[in-house]
Amino acid sequence: MSAPLPLESVRVITLEQVHALPWGTAFLADLGAQVIRIESVEHLQDRKSGPFPNGKAGTEWWNEGGNLAYFGTRNKQSLCLEVTRPAGKEVFLKLVANCDVVTDNFRPGTMRRLGFDHETLTQINPRIITLSSTAYGYTGPWRSAGSRARTVDAACGMSYLTGYEGGPSKRASNNYMDHSTGNNVAFALLLALYKRQRTGKGMRIDLTMQETGISCIGPAILEAQRGIKRQRLGCGHLWKAPHNVYPCAGRDRWIAITVSDEAEWTALKQVMGAPPWARDPCYDSAQGRWQHRHELDRKMADWTATQDDKELARLLQAQGVCAGAALTAADLVDDPHLRHRGFLQELECAGGPRTFAGRPFRVPGLPMAIRNVAGMGEHNEVVLREVAGLSSEEIRALAEEGVISNRPRAEERAP
Amino acid sequence: MDGILSGVKVLELAHAPSGAFCAKLLADQGADTIKVEPPGRGDPARHEPPFIGGEPHPDRSTTFLALNTNKRGITLDVEQAAGRSVFLRLAAAADVVIESFRPGALTNLGLGYEVLRAGNPRAILLSISYFGQDGPYAGYKGDELIAQAMGGYLYAVTGAADQPPMGTALQQMELTAGRNGVIATMSALLRREQAGEGGHIDVSVMEAAIATPSMLIHPYSYTGRSPRRGNMDRNVVDGMHLPTRDGEVTLTTAGTGGRPMEVWAEFLGEPRLLDPKFATRQSRQDNWEELRDLVAPKLALWNNLDLMRETMAKGLVIGLVQSPEQVVNSPHLAERGCFVELDHPETGTLKYPGPGFFFDGANLMQTARAAPRLGEHNDEIYCGRLGLSNGELDRLRAARVV
Repeated sequence: MSAPLPLESVRVITLEQVHALPWGTAFLADLGAQVIRIESVEHLQDRKSGPFPNGKAGTEWWNEGGNLAYFGTRNKQSLCLEVTRPAGKEVFLKLVANCDVVTDNFRPGTMRRLGFDHETLTQINPRIITLSSTAYGYTGPWRSAGSRARTVDAACGMSYLTGYEGGPSKRASNNYMDHSTGNNVAFALLLALYKRQRTGKGMRIDLTMQETGISCIGPAILEAQRGIKRQRLGCGHLWKAPHNVYPCAGRDRWIAITVSDEAEWTALKQVMGAPPWARDPCYDSAQGRWQHRHELDRKMADWTATQDDKELARLLQAQGVCAGAALTAADLVDDPHLRHRGFLQELECAGGPRTFAGRPFRVPGLPMAIRNVAGMGEHNEVVLREVAGLSSEEIRALAEEGVISNRPRAEERAP
Repeated sequence: MDGILSGVKVLELAHAPSGAFCAKLLADQGADTIKVEPPGRGDPARHEPPFIGGEPHPDRSTTFLALNTNKRGITLDVEQAAGRSVFLRLAAAADVVIESFRPGALTNLGLGYEVLRAGNPRAILLSISYFGQDGPYAGYKGDELIAQAMGGYLYAVTGAADQPPMGTALQQMELTAGRNGVIATMSALLRREQAGEGGHIDVSVMEAAIATPSMLIHPYSYTGRSPRRGNMDRNVVDGMHLPTRDGEVTLTTAGTGGRPMEVWAEFLGEPRLLDPKFATRQSRQDNWEELRDLVAPKLALWNNLDLMRETMAKGLVIGLVQSPEQVVNSPHLAERGCFVELDHPETGTLKYPGPGFFFDGANLMQTARAAPRLGEHNDEIYCGRLGLSNGELDRLRAARVV
């Protein structure tokens, strides 16, 4: 019997879709909390989002997608309950009476319309912690705006700062904002639980993706107040050179090399075989290298173009030069370092074993692995019986009325 | 105002942004955080441009200022024996020690986890490094770009399909490692309540880069294809950045009830968008230049904030590509109280981003202090907290330990 996980006595109910919030609550599930994800037969996008084995949805597609295993229902329970119907709402409120945390990522206003706003839930359960994860928050003129992770990537200033040197603004990522926000959700909930342990009091948390994004660009926020403009530099750096990606042998293979001081520049020159061009005094200082960085990058690229990216990175690192190949997912799955560290997890899934990234931290006594993946409505009965206190007859009646379900409706189209 | 973590003592011995950011997130929630810097130059981030006021100055680097709010700062040379013994006295009273040396370096200094534990079994040691504490790359040099490269982010995420890989601005993988670090720290603090003992946490920036877009490993495992950058380059109404009168915007097809071209044609007043050649996602990509040339002139008539207000009223979803200036001056964020003002003798008062969440309507970011000047709190910590006499402190100063 292993030691208890730190959140084993914590029960979370989550009305969550898409990415940011499911990513955040997955941390709590990893830490042992009973995370009950409430789903609906009317909104199966997440169960349709894949990825599916070999790109094809199978006969039980609703339980086969890889995103479910990685964060969607990872270590969670699935209760497929129609909370918009009166009988479903009644059950939901019974669950709330027996839980610690309720989270949602509807647009502001939806929880109130459903009768699930913080004030109402507090009357049922005075110690409740609620967290609403939205794009722009519950207050302010943009509160009702919809979003995608990339529209918030834009709105927080991240996209404006990102781009090739001299080029236009560029979205950083389709989901970096989702994951930063999800990480922040986990932090906020752990803070709230920590506080409640001391004060006994619940609280309402209004967490936004936009403000999480702004917290990622702190220096630029300070600079903007004093008229300092930060230029887009692609893989470049404000004062270091060489500092870029360089082409290697093969199709679309690249190596990143960054030089921070004279010792590294000397070592790099040695690995390059002390080429005559590198003796040009214009490269003798950091300032000179930076001023002539475009020419320097071209010379470096000539040298790297015929070499194997991983081999060259190993050679440079052995000589004390900071370098790394631009690895692909295929490289990472076979990467000896990650294998050595046990970072990747193999899990038996529908259609065979699959590989997943692990958590980027190890805490002794806390295995953060995927232990189970909840199928659609898999925990209807156990949750309704044990948490809502319903009898078998009541549960059967809910199933017959379609208030709970464990598979899509007959007319639902496969993805 | 007391913070949630005001009973938690943090000691930071971090030279990398990941560790500094992790400690900042704890300090901003009230943790009593001491930043330990080497005498002389201090944290390398102090020398990162740009600087408030323009000229290099160790207390005016925007990177340093942003990463070190609400900390006290002391100088200490842990490479000297006298410095190590002072460090161990500080660590004996700490709940969390955060370090970002290369793996093994702390142990070689005689300050490894076993030594810390001997003096303080409840201590949580958080080690953040580029590649983690063990494995073939543990001794490699790293930085933000190398972490993006080796974490698969550079190849797959930000750049354009027909150009070399490109990274995300500022130090996003460092920050992501820091954010994962606070999750790990909070988990360890909660675990300590039950188990009574601390532990040694190992955070890897490379692994944070892999885990954070998260759409690398398992999609490859399911489909056999490595995700590659630039998958939305040609999506005029779902990804591209297009100019407005005072900025840029990115459109989406969300909120259009499955009839994106009808809805955008009406909103923009451009009936040619109804042409069947723009009817499907694929055909819009095939004819993207023509589509852009219809959409762009219409968007160029709008001001950013007007466009946001009008699309919002119609339930359409867009993103304004805001500059940091526009973010700082955003009426929405001002009404929410997202920023907090911190005064600093070298920079004056500046607005800093909050944590991204409000508890019961309050921005919980502490406003105790802006980033410390180098050695600013030496007297307060060494004499006030450790109880050294002025003479002892003078001797440490003379030996350049402090």
